[in-house]
Amino acid sequence: MRAPARLYADEELLDDALQDKSVEQLVNTATLPGIVKYAIAMPDIHQGYGAPVGGVFATAVKDGVISPGAVGYDINCGVRVLASHISADEVRPHLNELASALYRNCPSGVGVSGSVDLRGDDLDDILNRGAQWALERGYARAEDLQHTEEFGQLATADSKTVSPKAKERGRDQLGTLGAGNHFIEVDRIAAIYDAASAKVLGLFENQVVTQIHCGSRGLGHQVCQDYVDRFQRVVKEYNIILPDRELVAAPYDSGEGREYAAAMGAAANFAFANRQVLAFHIRRSFAEVLKGKVSDFDLHQVYDIAHNMAKLEEHEVEGAMMRVLVHRKGATRAFGPNSPVLPDDLKPIGQPVLIPGSMGTMSFILCGTEGSMTQTFGSSCHGAGRVWSRHKAKKEVRGEKLRAEMQERGIAVRAGSLSGLAEEAPQAYKDVSRVVEVVDHAGIGRKVARLEPLAVIKG
Amino acid sequence: MKRYEEIDHTADWAFRAFGRNLKDLYENAAYAIFELEGATDAPITVTRQVRVQGIDYEGLLVNWLNELLFLQETKNETYQQFKITNLTDTELEATIQGAAALPTKKFIKAVTYHDLKIERTPRGWQATVVVDV
Repeated sequence: MRAPARLYADEELLDDALQDKSVEQLVNTATLPGIVKYAIAMPDIHQGYGAPVGGVFATAVKDGVISPGAVGYDINCGVRVLASHISADEVRPHLNELASALYRNCPSGVGVSGSVDLRGDDLDDILNRGAQWALERGYARAEDLQHTEEFGQLATADSKTVSPKAKERGRDQLGTLGAGNHFIEVDRIAAIYDAASAKVLGLFENQVVTQIHCGSRGLGHQVCQDYVDRFQRVVKEYNIILPDRELVAAPYDSGEGREYAAAMGAAANFAFANRQVLAFHIRRSFAEVLKGKVSDFDLHQVYDIAHNMAKLEEHEVEGAMMRVLVHRKGATRAFGPNSPVLPDDLKPIGQPVLIPGSMGTMSFILCGTEGSMTQTFGSSCHGAGRVWSRHKAKKEVRGEKLRAEMQERGIAVRAGSLSGLAEEAPQAYKDVSRVVEVVDHAGIGRKVARLEPLAVIKG
Repeated sequence: MKRYEEIDHTADWAFRAFGRNLKDLYENAAYAIFELEGATDAPITVTRQVRVQGIDYEGLLVNWLNELLFLQETKNETYQQFKITNLTDTELEATIQGAAALPTKKFIKAVTYHDLKIERTPRGWQATVVVDV
């Protein structure tokens, strides 16, 4: 090891972490060249490929590495929350119709094409400019971009570093949800913990909000595969010794390192544009079903975060500010109050941190803190984290029964695959409220609101 | 000799493929992917030639399987018959057959290097593969 490893957990979550290889993988990340301070595991940690999911580490820009395996296959998998101006009571009579409209208007599942017809240089433009492209094409409002991490566009992106294969996979997928653990939810705000911050975010109790959880689809996957493959040769040239081939890396300050960073940025931009187009479809669905039936069907964007990304940031290391590459895989940026990268309206409260819980249970909105800046390179958890394999979940849970249980609790469910639903059963995940308690208690995130589902849409 | 077996892995899916020799092993690993997806029953209507490279046998296995997943996603096809016509430690050529059909059980997005092992056994070879779904 080149650096120590630090894990945030309570007793039960620590027990969970010791059941699989997460801690071993955390230790492996601490061997990467150029790592500073310590490698970190969030309380939702579980075994990943190479690096654990729920892992954070930073490498010095001058002599450290960048690792595609430590970013993940689904580059810029993330979450967006849109909030309405109305309460759950106004929406409940129309919930089934709304769920059906969302399922119909937001393409999801396997082999399903997006609704956006991309021509000529459109895809390259999206890869280079992300949400900015979406704004120009009428899929976004200016305020949406203001309330998106990186304002929806990573400036280091370069479409030329993305392979033709990745572009071929992505061409047909803009504005699609995918499957697996991706979803759209209609929720209500069940509790407010920080009234002042909630007010700034435009949140109130019993309010209807929506969540989108998805990423860069096949395009991001191909970018990760391309560079994990390419870096297999590169590690030998740079004499980098790896404990795990999936943790393959190259010096950030090298041609290969910069190219991956640019390709990762491009895939991230695709994901920002993807969530933006889905937000457009969600607004359209709300208008379609609720116009004339509720007082106000409009949705405003609370924030959009990434939880699989490597970012160039400045953090304090041994008393001095240092430029580092912060790798977050299944972890969320959680910058504290007055951070210069936040829009002015959010500077007083810190960056919103959107934490989707396991299906049918609850989700949370937190804010970043000074504590996260000093302890975890401005990072926090991302969700509940799996404890059962998909294999086990399918053996233990019947999709039809799970859907019926949720519907009995008043949750409208639209799912393209019942076995896919079973794989996402809440028993297969950690308790997200425990994860959030640890984060709040440790001072690396501050609870603002709890959400509970009204409708779940999945591929 | 069975072609493969599933193994437990948190977060995603994993299997172990078997073969009397390396060609068999690579063909059975490909078959495992599509059978796990529930995609090996449709009548065959498609034939393709595939050629991939890698830096060693493990890299070649990952690239072979990922090439099949790339074709799956971009052609909207799935495959059930695999004939490897050339295999060295850095190159593979094969003829694959399948159909314009989608997976029915799950959709595998990528094959990873995680826990990847190709090993000799008393009866031939085995490979452990973890996939991202």
